[in-house]
Amino acid sequence: MSDSARTWNTISAASPGVAVSISGVGKRFKRHTDRRSSLKELMVRGRAQTEEDFWAVRDVSIQIPRGSVYGLIGHNGSGKSTLLKMIGKIYRPTTGTITTDGRVAALIELGAGFHPDMTGRENIGLNGSLLGLQRKEIQQVTEQIIDFSGLREFIDEPVKHYSSGMYVRLGFAVAVNMKPDILIIDEVLAVGDEEFQRKCFDHLYSLRKAGKTIVVVSHGLGQLEGLCDEVAWLEHGRLQSSGYPTDTIAAYLQRVNADESARNPLVVSTRPEDDRAGDGQIRVMSAAIVNSNGDPLNHAETGETFMMRIAFNAAVPVLGPNVRVALQHDSGPLVTMISNHARGFDFGTVQGDYSCDITVPDNPLLPGRYRVHIDVFDFSGSKLLDTWNDAVEFPVRSKSGEIGQGFFQLPAQFRLG
Amino acid sequence: MLNTLWTQRALIWAFANRDFKTRYRSSLLGWGWSLLQPLATLIVFAAVFSIVFRVKAPPLGNGQGTSYAAFLFTGIVTWNLFSSFLNLSMSQLKASGDLLKKVQFPGWAPVLGASIVQLVQVGLEIVVLAGLFLWKGNVSWTWILAVPILIGTALFAQGLGLMLAILNARFGDVQYIVTVALGALYFMTPILYPIDLVNQHGHILGWFVKLNPMSWYVQTMHDVMYSLVVPIWWVIPALLAAGLAVFWIGFVVFNRFSEDLGEYL
Repeated sequence: MSDSARTWNTISAASPGVAVSISGVGKRFKRHTDRRSSLKELMVRGRAQTEEDFWAVRDVSIQIPRGSVYGLIGHNGSGKSTLLKMIGKIYRPTTGTITTDGRVAALIELGAGFHPDMTGRENIGLNGSLLGLQRKEIQQVTEQIIDFSGLREFIDEPVKHYSSGMYVRLGFAVAVNMKPDILIIDEVLAVGDEEFQRKCFDHLYSLRKAGKTIVVVSHGLGQLEGLCDEVAWLEHGRLQSSGYPTDTIAAYLQRVNADESARNPLVVSTRPEDDRAGDGQIRVMSAAIVNSNGDPLNHAETGETFMMRIAFNAAVPVLGPNVRVALQHDSGPLVTMISNHARGFDFGTVQGDYSCDITVPDNPLLPGRYRVHIDVFDFSGSKLLDTWNDAVEFPVRSKSGEIGQGFFQLPAQFRLG
Repeated sequence: MLNTLWTQRALIWAFANRDFKTRYRSSLLGWGWSLLQPLATLIVFAAVFSIVFRVKAPPLGNGQGTSYAAFLFTGIVTWNLFSSFLNLSMSQLKASGDLLKKVQFPGWAPVLGASIVQLVQVGLEIVVLAGLFLWKGNVSWTWILAVPILIGTALFAQGLGLMLAILNARFGDVQYIVTVALGALYFMTPILYPIDLVNQHGHILGWFVKLNPMSWYVQTMHDVMYSLVVPIWWVIPALLAAGLAVFWIGFVVFNRFSEDLGEYL
């Protein structure tokens, strides 16, 4: 009797240059309610007759080249983590085979296996053993780990006194310093403060440079786009597409946006009858977000031209009114104010119903929610004719996954002299 | 099997280290607590059985009367080694379930680690037992034979423990059944009474006692520690071999059924 228990973990990759080879892999779970967890159940109901299977992963084939960073994206429950656990040999594939070449370290959760009553140093030892290192190897890297974590002064204190940030820092430091050939990371990239995160990314890059393979699951699409050489998109356990990060992520986001469009209401708002302001000469009736063809939208996209369509009615002839639109970010700050006077556009004398389209070319607004407030002034700008607060609210989404900092992307141009 | 155990020695040791360091870290008396339980059992049982039921222990090996307390404690130490291994194996595997979902490692590693720590406890009890015998002046070279007997007991218990642990991981009620079974088995082992007592009666219960493997381990311990006699030459090798066999079977069974441990724990 030898290692027959986990034969699937000792297979080494067949073809050279491939770190992880996944072919035709599927993972079936029994529905939890259908599991016989007590003897009585087993005896009374016998073998499960109404077996309800659930395929978390189905027919997935991926070749992950050595020395590459491979990203997995998809909705929650799309099978990313299950696939990752199978690469990490925590789960066994129901169908197909996974071959890995080299030592695998799986970061399914940072600091998994830390015992609260043990000191940081003692936990490094335990965690190292869990990741498959011998005692001598652990001793060699312990100092390195302590330095990396930046927790030297606390290393001999029980980890139960650590803050959650310190805890994950130590966990990350242990895992990445274990010199794995293949590092598996599940949603744990956003750890620690800015400085530590940079350190982590620098370390990941240096691992890649050293020919290590990194497989990462993350919802931080922007992060993945920058880090990965290749990205695979899983949908309901099946491989939807894979390839260049930018293309795959764009395809994924297109789907996400399309799904959301189907679900989300259009951004159109009609003014309530009882909401009145000013002297009634002009009354704003409705506000909506539409695309350049005038079709109603449920969100605006960064970089994509859209229009705000404001309908108003002038009960009496009004000379050169000024329609001012204020955009407020959901978090509070006023982002910008635009008005036809400021843009040098005179409506002339108006009477009756109008629809005013305000085009925002190549929408510079960054993803977020924006609230629209509308004010109408007379030609001199001194008299408020109508005001409608919170006329409409619309989300801005990104096509690429890039969130960006701040509220908008200034259409700036760089030149190198 | 030995090869596998050897390559995982660092991990087993790391788990043992963890359990050792955390077992009584935040309690004042620490390991003292671990002796309190068997000592309390000893006092209560010694009082009840020697005074109330007037059970007579066999004569001490040094020919100077009898000591029911010493007789009882010899049995309790051996029994505790057995029962604590079974219980710890089951609870330790359950407790490792969360970790097995996140990290890949053999499930028997934490189980064996916990058992190693339990050996420290057994060692402490043995020291107390030896002290008791020293005080009674009941000492002989036959004590050395206790080492292979205890190793046999430990291997036997661990093999059984591994099988029960994997069964308990699938069917949560196994641990309750084991508790009941251990309670019954305790009285079918010559711990509270000398084996001669059942030999005399020839009742069907006597057969149960004799067929109970733990009777053999306990009785042989009585021979070498209490009565200071050497058992028939094949008994100790047989106990050791049986222990090894059960351990091997337990290990194989565990590995056979632990493939999807991370999923159902």
